Amino acid sequence: MAKKKINIENSVRKLRFNNNEMTQQELADLVGISRQTVVAIEKYKYTPSLELAFKIALAFNREIQEVFYIGK
Amino acid sequence: MNIKIRNTLTEIIAVAIAITWMYSKLNAAANMSIASITQVLVQGIGISILAAIFFAIVIHIVSAIMTQSKEKNVVDERDNIIEFYALRLSSVIFGISLVIILTLLGWFNLPINFGIIAITFSVFLASICSTFLKIYLYK
Repeated sequence: MAKKKINIENSVRKLRFNNNEMTQQELADLVGISRQTVVAIEKYKYTPSLELAFKIALAFNREIQEVFYIGK
Repeated sequence: MNIKIRNTLTEIIAVAIAITWMYSKLNAAANMSIASITQVLVQGIGISILAAIFFAIVIHIVSAIMTQSKEKNVVDERDNIIEFYALRLSSVIFGISLVIILTLLGWFNLPINFGIIAITFSVFLASICSTFLKIYLYK
């Protein structure tokens, strides 16, 4: 497989608003990370580990591929 | 300003105070004995640790009064990665500095006094660079 960089994007921001306008701090507390990390994930500046990605998906009660996906 | 950047700024302030203090004490380093130089350097390291603790307490109190809230200092995987990058940068800077210092000592036949001082200052330089990297990555 060619060494091509994959852009992993997410719908965390959209899912937060669909979940009773959950704040970044509330999500951070739910999954045990800092609010700054939530900000970095939403801006695609940081790609979380698989474990954290699963935790975030579980917090929204969604499948992981609904939250994190390969962007263009 | 979030708690991570505040903590990092505290480190920079502490190191800056220690460097200034040591620089003022080591003016006549060429005429000082190794024992007195190492005494100053050890005191400087002690000052940096005490200053870091003092400013961390002061900045947390001032921040809590200004924001009227207690911010939790959660350490997560991103913080660990940032710490790792900072540690790697400081190791590289210290390693390069050490090689340069040893080369200069041999090349110009400088007294060992300068070597000891330069190595200690390179530790502080590595620390400052790594804290600036942390601030950049936290932003």
